[in-house]
Amino acid sequence: MSERKVYVLGGGISKMAAERPDGTIRDWVVEAVMEAVKDAGVEMDNIEHATTSYFSDHFDKQLKQGAIFHDSVGMCPKPNVRVEGGGATGGLAIRNAYAYIKAGLCESMIVYGAENMGRHVPSDTAQEFIAYASDFDWEFQIAGFYIAYYALMMRAHMDMYGTKEEQFAKVSVKNHRNAIYNEYAHQPMEITVDDVMSSPLITSPYKRLDCSLLSDGASCLIFATAEWAERYCSTWKKKPAIELVASGCGTDFMRLADRPWPYPGIAHFRAKRVASQMAYKMAGIKDPAKELDCAEIHDAYSGTELVSYEDLGFCGLGQSGPLTDEGFFDLGGELPCNTSGGLIGMGHPVGATGINQGIEILRQLREEAHPKRQVVIKNGLGLTDSHGGTGTFVAVNIFRRVD
Amino acid sequence: MAKTRKEKIEFPKLPVIKDLAPKKRGLVTTKLQVFETLDPMGPEMHWMKEFVNEEDPWKDFRLIEKIQIDQHITYRHSLGKYSKFFIELENKRFFATKCPKCGQVWPIPRPVCPNDLSICKWVELPGTGTLVSHSISRFIPVFMRDRVDIPYVLAMVRMDGAPKTLFTHMLKNYGKEEDIYDGMRVKVAYSDKPVPHPLLLMWFEPA
Repeated sequence: MSERKVYVLGGGISKMAAERPDGTIRDWVVEAVMEAVKDAGVEMDNIEHATTSYFSDHFDKQLKQGAIFHDSVGMCPKPNVRVEGGGATGGLAIRNAYAYIKAGLCESMIVYGAENMGRHVPSDTAQEFIAYASDFDWEFQIAGFYIAYYALMMRAHMDMYGTKEEQFAKVSVKNHRNAIYNEYAHQPMEITVDDVMSSPLITSPYKRLDCSLLSDGASCLIFATAEWAERYCSTWKKKPAIELVASGCGTDFMRLADRPWPYPGIAHFRAKRVASQMAYKMAGIKDPAKELDCAEIHDAYSGTELVSYEDLGFCGLGQSGPLTDEGFFDLGGELPCNTSGGLIGMGHPVGATGINQGIEILRQLREEAHPKRQVVIKNGLGLTDSHGGTGTFVAVNIFRRVD
Repeated sequence: MAKTRKEKIEFPKLPVIKDLAPKKRGLVTTKLQVFETLDPMGPEMHWMKEFVNEEDPWKDFRLIEKIQIDQHITYRHSLGKYSKFFIELENKRFFATKCPKCGQVWPIPRPVCPNDLSICKWVELPGTGTLVSHSISRFIPVFMRDRVDIPYVLAMVRMDGAPKTLFTHMLKNYGKEEDIYDGMRVKVAYSDKPVPHPLLLMWFEPA
């Protein structure tokens, strides 16, 4: 791979909310771009390329949405590509920026992501649209919605390792609490394990407060080489330099049922192990739990975050529950995870989610986060983990502060 | 009993806006609402100095109209090379595919084995198996209500004769929820009633 280095110059978010009736999806993208451009100190005229990140064509009954985002921010006639991989879409879009800049196709890239998932369709219809990301003839017909699969995976994990419902309820408590210090978050709340345990049961073992949110929102990141930044970025060397040092990607069988045993079986995310190992190798990371300062995890459901810790190599298989009890992944713990609030607290507008994660790592590594959620920067390393389906597509991106 | 949520930070709440009565919709028959959005709905642009302490930058764009859009789509959907599986369910027989090269039997059939890209053969399985994991749902989306009861049990089963991977379907007629356990023996049961999708011609029951 080329020696070229890829830097994150800035990011912007248009607020996550249950409904954003103040605008359409294109309006939110424009807001996120306006903020990212200011944050980076760059001009749109100089940005050479775009990547569009959104998941569903059903939600907005609009195909080719990338063309609209692109012309709304004055990027025509410059190149633009769309990336899609379910919940991993945003993470894959960041990977795309890495690949295009590394390959020399461009020196600078803007990545925009958004999803219109809020209440313009009933929650039932939204669940149906999301369920189209499972196999239509073999899964959708009988399961109908994703929670049933994730619940089944978590039950398998509980059977194998003795993981307890109270342990993954703590993830929901942590992520809702972290969101309190994030002005862009959809559902900031101070709740207790009891609140999670007593919220309405949806699919055993998952209760309503174990689930991520259907959110409206958009986000944007701007990437470039050092040479481009020297010429066109007014904040270069004024703000801490954050490099995108690694990007890993992994996949697994579309249907949970088809995956090999014993690993991953139906309890684990093999794609996460593949993607993270690939990324650790690129970044020269030997012990992620010790070396990373913070991580954003794809907490589609609270238990998913626990399983992800294990498959990302933060701890051994089956150890995520006990470590959560110790507060290992809390703010102030050994490796704070989902300081933004994650998908459960900040929100989950699918195409924007992975980009939100990248922005949180950018804020953390620059030490710009709200003081109550700012982590201590020791090695200057942060990770994002995005996945689609039941772990069918995974993107793991690693950022490093280099000043 | 769910406890009351304690929200520490109050974000601007959306006003409850009633849909317009048909007579008040003017020239647009699908018009639902016309309203002004609250400010700020978007993020506080704290770092954008020019917006701080100044008037709402979006003031010209706060009036919002909502309309209703209805879409009904009918597909003519081919079941492709998987069709035999579905056709045999009508005959109350459970078929899988077997790879002639590596010998793996795929209980969710595949015309081509992903291990070695060999073209598979259909084989009949006894339709019995062992429950590996399950989930019990108290909630189901509306579109599922023509096909499942609440609670519904989604089951992953290791089919006899296809040991490497699993088959996913619903578990019915299980008696009490407490009687379901991973490791229990199950069998395929077949429907005598018409169904909207052929996969619904079968389900699992305790063996």
